[in-house]
Amino acid sequence: MDSGAQAMADALKSSFGIVKFVMSGLFIMFLFSGIFTVGPQEKAIVLQFGKPVGDGEKMLLGSGAHWSFPYPINEVIKIPITEVQEVRSRTQWFLQSAVQEAKGEIPYAGPTLNPAIDGYTLTADGNIIHAKATLRYHIDDPRRCVFDFAGKGTQQSFGLVGISNAVLNALDNALLHASGLTRVDDVLLDKIAFQDAVTRRVAKLVSEQKLGIIVDQCIVETRQPRQLDMAFQQVTDAGQKRGTALTEARSYRDKKMNEAEGNAVARINTAQSERNAMVAKIRGDASIFTDNLASYKRNPELFLQQHLVKTLGTAIAGVDYKMYLPTSADGKPIELRLNLNREPIKQGSNETKR
Amino acid sequence: MKKNLLTIVVSALLAAIFVLILFVFQVRQSEVAVVTRFGRPVRTQSEPGAFFRLPPGIESVYKLDQRIQSLEDPFTETLTADNNNLLTTVYVGWRISDAAAFFPKFKGGSVIDAERNLKEVVTQAKAAVVGKHPLSDFVNANPKDLKFDAIENEIKAILQEKIAANNSGIRIEYLGIKKIGLPESVTQAVFDRMTADRKKLADKLESEGLAEAQKIRSSADREAAQKISVAEGEARRIKGEGDAVAASYLPVFEQNPDLARVLLESEALETTLKERSILIFDSRTSPFNLLTGSFTNKLSK
Repeated sequence: MDSGAQAMADALKSSFGIVKFVMSGLFIMFLFSGIFTVGPQEKAIVLQFGKPVGDGEKMLLGSGAHWSFPYPINEVIKIPITEVQEVRSRTQWFLQSAVQEAKGEIPYAGPTLNPAIDGYTLTADGNIIHAKATLRYHIDDPRRCVFDFAGKGTQQSFGLVGISNAVLNALDNALLHASGLTRVDDVLLDKIAFQDAVTRRVAKLVSEQKLGIIVDQCIVETRQPRQLDMAFQQVTDAGQKRGTALTEARSYRDKKMNEAEGNAVARINTAQSERNAMVAKIRGDASIFTDNLASYKRNPELFLQQHLVKTLGTAIAGVDYKMYLPTSADGKPIELRLNLNREPIKQGSNETKR
Repeated sequence: MKKNLLTIVVSALLAAIFVLILFVFQVRQSEVAVVTRFGRPVRTQSEPGAFFRLPPGIESVYKLDQRIQSLEDPFTETLTADNNNLLTTVYVGWRISDAAAFFPKFKGGSVIDAERNLKEVVTQAKAAVVGKHPLSDFVNANPKDLKFDAIENEIKAILQEKIAANNSGIRIEYLGIKKIGLPESVTQAVFDRMTADRKKLADKLESEGLAEAQKIRSSADREAAQKISVAEGEARRIKGEGDAVAASYLPVFEQNPDLARVLLESEALETTLKERSILIFDSRTSPFNLLTGSFTNKLSK
């Protein structure tokens, strides 16, 4: 072999060596490219030639480092799945920004409702109310939720946008259905029952449409149209007035009955006391009579005289004023003048004024 | 020899990869593939996996999304059977059920084109059904008279019929009413009625409250008076018992009525003269008759 050919051969040999080195490197890189990590708020699904590996919960890979054959053998799909998913329905609610909602501010309302802007629903008695709901759920069938529902603009990509839209549609429908079956006063006053009706409807739709989720909680809020706040406030005020009137009437009744009870008991007690006193007195009188009867029979005149003197003596002792009128010498009647208003008038006394 | 073996293996691997890219295509879990040969659909593949194909130029593979797509039709106004203007929107969950029928209908199997077409059909079906029902079928306190589900099923049935007639290769998975409303001009009338209803209710609550309060008060007065009169009757009865006991002692006093009278009268005298009494007596009253002829009498003479 001449030197030129030898040089060519040597050059080709080194080139092939470099090529082999690069190809080996590429092959190793190809294998290492199969390493991937899954974050804490994610789950991963591995598609092997397009088909998910594993079934049910086993299909989902948790957080950490994993390896699978690189594309085109395997494809790794990462999905942000948290434990609890949430959708919010505002389709039947008036236009309110997120900031206003967070602050609890109610935006100004015009005289009417533009249905294209302000959402609302109709109640069973043809009235208008606003309703919104927040539904919390968790995924029961991840294969169904990830691979059977497409979200808008998510062609060829996987995620939970599709199932979220489907759940939201079910929630919107549930609010409409429940309000269409319920009168306005029941919607606004019996909120728990209305919320239960919405939850039942959502659960029914989830089951019928096989959405692959389990409803954890459904919170519903309703209110009258802002344009009618004053009218509804009047009803609330009237209800409070009614309550106050009834409370006062019951209070009057309690007081009246207590007074009557006390009065009744007092009358009976008085009657009993009087009866007992009367019985005791008559017994005493009978006893005195019996004790004195024999003495009286022996000498009635003397007994009477003795008794009278004794009685006068006792009576006179208690008399405030005693006056002895002597007999006039000429036998004429004596004039006696008495000042009967004996007690002095007390200064500022109401009793004397009476 | 070893070097040759390594070269052969690596070369074989590269060749295999080249062949895979050229002659194999994948169908993912949610996809359906339509294979065309020289532009004409020849087969579809809906199961996931890897499949053989002829190289590009001879066969082309179009992958369609087989998942349930969601669409909403516009918020349109329809006259109900009882001449009420009602605005409605429905949502539809649909998917490709027959890729072979779907693909030629919509250019390149475009889902967007299919949705545009489907929206029109949905709106027509909705208008036809809403026009057959009165407003009371949409809102009604009686669950038996509420035809919400029936209306949704009717729209879905008409939609499926039209799609089947069109052979679009589409299947409707579910359909529901998403939103209803009234024209803006009608809401004012509804508000006026609601305001009048609220006023009526407020007046009713107030007057009911006053009437009930009055009833409670008058009932309380009646019951109190009854309680007192019952107690009064009982008091009389008790006093009567006392009188009866007193009467039972009458035979005792009947033994000597004169003595009984004297004892009672003297007791009355004592009781009468107990407080705030002025007693004026003369010389004839015993025991003051003892003072007759005394010093004072001598003076008066």
